[in-house]
Amino acid sequence: MAGLQHPFHCLRYVNRQSAGQSDILIATAGRNLYSYNASSGQRLDVWPQPVDADAEDKSSDAAPADASESHGPPEKRRKLSSTSDEQKDAKPESKTKDSKKEASNSWTNIPLVTVAHGKYVVIMTSEDKCVRVLSLDNEGKLQQLSARTMPKKLSALTLTPDENNILSGDKFGDVYTFPLIPSGEYVKAQTPAKPYEPAATNLTVHTKRNLESLEQQMRQAALSKTNPAERVALNFEHQVIIGHVSLLTDLISVTRPADSTVGKRNYILTADRDEHIRVSRGVPQAHVIEQFCFGHTSFVSSLCVPSFQPKVLISGGGDNYLLVWDWLENQILQKVQLPGAEGETTVRGIWDVSLAPTADNADPVKAIFVALEGSSQLLYYTLESNNTITHQDTLQLSGNVLALTGIDSRGSILVAVDTLRESNSTSAWKSSSQPPLETFGLSSGRLAPVEDSMVIRINSEGTSSIPTPLEQKQQKELNDSMYNLGNLRKRDDPYDD
Amino acid sequence: MATQNPPAKRIKREEYRRNVQAQQESTDGSVIKMPQKKFFRQRAHANPFSDHRLEYPISPAHMDWSSHYPAFVDPDASKTNLSGGCKLTKEVEVVDIGCGFGGLMVGLAPLMPDTLMVGMEIRISVLEYLSSRIHALRSQQQRLKNRAANPSSTEPQDASAQPESTDSTPAPVPANDDEIGTEKLFPGNFENITAIRSNTMKFLPNFFGHHQLSKIFICFPDPHFKARKHKARIISESLNSEYAFVLRPGGLLYTITDVEEYHHWVLRHFLHGEQPEGGATPAASSKDLFERVSEEELAADPCVRVMKYETEESKKVTRNKGNKYVAVFRRKADPEWPA
Repeated sequence: MAGLQHPFHCLRYVNRQSAGQSDILIATAGRNLYSYNASSGQRLDVWPQPVDADAEDKSSDAAPADASESHGPPEKRRKLSSTSDEQKDAKPESKTKDSKKEASNSWTNIPLVTVAHGKYVVIMTSEDKCVRVLSLDNEGKLQQLSARTMPKKLSALTLTPDENNILSGDKFGDVYTFPLIPSGEYVKAQTPAKPYEPAATNLTVHTKRNLESLEQQMRQAALSKTNPAERVALNFEHQVIIGHVSLLTDLISVTRPADSTVGKRNYILTADRDEHIRVSRGVPQAHVIEQFCFGHTSFVSSLCVPSFQPKVLISGGGDNYLLVWDWLENQILQKVQLPGAEGETTVRGIWDVSLAPTADNADPVKAIFVALEGSSQLLYYTLESNNTITHQDTLQLSGNVLALTGIDSRGSILVAVDTLRESNSTSAWKSSSQPPLETFGLSSGRLAPVEDSMVIRINSEGTSSIPTPLEQKQQKELNDSMYNLGNLRKRDDPYDD
Repeated sequence: MATQNPPAKRIKREEYRRNVQAQQESTDGSVIKMPQKKFFRQRAHANPFSDHRLEYPISPAHMDWSSHYPAFVDPDASKTNLSGGCKLTKEVEVVDIGCGFGGLMVGLAPLMPDTLMVGMEIRISVLEYLSSRIHALRSQQQRLKNRAANPSSTEPQDASAQPESTDSTPAPVPANDDEIGTEKLFPGNFENITAIRSNTMKFLPNFFGHHQLSKIFICFPDPHFKARKHKARIISESLNSEYAFVLRPGGLLYTITDVEEYHHWVLRHFLHGEQPEGGATPAASSKDLFERVSEEELAADPCVRVMKYETEESKKVTRNKGNKYVAVFRRKADPEWPA
């Protein structure tokens, strides 16, 4: 493992023992999605498969030019040009499966991953704004089933409680829902092609300039009557269910179990850049807003409702504190100070893990982990019976914390660390990569690094390499794709109208 | 025609506005003149997606209304809101979204003298005008009342203006804008209206709690003619969910526009369209939370009359012989939770 390698951006542990199958670890790094055998650490599949079927990841210098292009960070392309599509169609790779042929540089990273029913992986590929559903078979092989292009880049991706529908939140503040598996051919709602007609009339605009431009529009309308501009619409079954006039930052789906007064109820919690946390009913009543949780004074970036206590919400963002809520009542139960100054600390992620019992404590530990943007420390809290959290420890990792997943059955957590950048920096690069995963487990009440054969094998194999040397611009693009929460902060802009 | 130095117009305008400000702050009892609109004009559009530099409370419970409605401050000073300000004796329950120069607020104030109303406007200059106007109206009313209470005053007084019965003396007929600012007493002394700078598309729930409002007015909204700009329209299914959150069941949302296409947009976003015979039931949306108010009911509603004839924009439309399209929606109760 030499040179620089992409760190893992997302991790998901897929528990499939109830289905009689072995567990799988899903991870993304660079533009690839990986599946690993969760006990041995054996890599089961990479998606998309390298364009050159024979080329292995390590032999990037020996690979032909187009293959190395797919390994390295490709140029940022926001739009798929039609010519590259045609080229792809013109020379199909005969050996690989159809689903694995993808335009090799339509995206550079996969920032969002979720898993449905233990056998479907839902991802968003970043630059092409595409939600892709892949099947995950018994052997851990990945095969793309569908690709749906969203109108805006997503900032959150999750599932409805029945795991049959995808929920997505985007940078425009809209939440969409659409079926996990598209049902048959989508027929666009037939809208009669209406000729373009200016909405303004000489009854509504009066100034000389406005009247002139209206006249121009009228002329334009007369010209374009034969060729009405086609409306840009999504070509798959979908519904917009919630909208914020703000940048949506996180979205979670919560089920509150039945209690003495009400039955089981589903909710959707959304957070935005304008300090709001909104509680809406679940689908199909997501248009009914039940509550707002007010208390943050900077953007909110992460929401976490622990599976072991669905009444509690832990939220964080651009404030240097976390808030613990009774979210249905808009009641702050606790304000938890974070290290770092106001205006500098940013919460990158909050995860709940139920750590399996060890010899000396009978109940699972209700652990809450918090990572800060560009920080190599991982904050470890436990949720108490009075619904507050207590700081237990601060774990020091070898690089910035990027992602975390719990491995309940082993009572341990798996942490993805930044392999490229120096600890506590979002821009200074290391000269050589380090292992991308670390693991911690409970031993006599404390979390300590543990040996895990899965992790050892994954680390030894590494991910895909980054060709060196890298231009400054490409470095910056990689940094920005990994650390972008700082952009959410409001600047004190003197401009104002 | 463009000058290098600040245009004379702007210098004059700034000077005027400084004077208005100084006049308001002075407490020497001098007569406060009505502000003149021409010094407060501002282009009719503001980008609702940009941050501006808005001030807004963390939550409705943090909002300090006491400086806005001094006549309604709770005398019990021990009652404070979460930011430490004095509480009011009642809650704000009418909002004019995009109130502009405030014609609707001023017209409604005497109609509902005991109801607290607020106009919200994103444009700074326009808001400044309205705040000055409300201030001037209040002080003028005060002066008229004092004069009526003080027969020794040298000025001749209106014999009908009784000092103790300001609520009964003025004509119950709603104020006509032409009379407002004249030497006439109105119920409520305009103490029940105020104006706040805000972007309601983002921050409405920061000001008002669940089911707090009884009426929302959206009068002559920016039509955002270009399809590309439709996302900036103040009426949309997702924003309607927020209006439903702050509006109590039975509460009314009033809309008026002179743009026919926008009127259809409003109807389309509040009501389910005609469903084809045997067609699928429409997908659940915020349209389920509203129903349209009938024409008969509107004819009897004095608010509709004020909205149609007293606002600045409605007068402009009348002058230009434009059309006015009114649609009012009633907030229905929330649907039952699915079993």
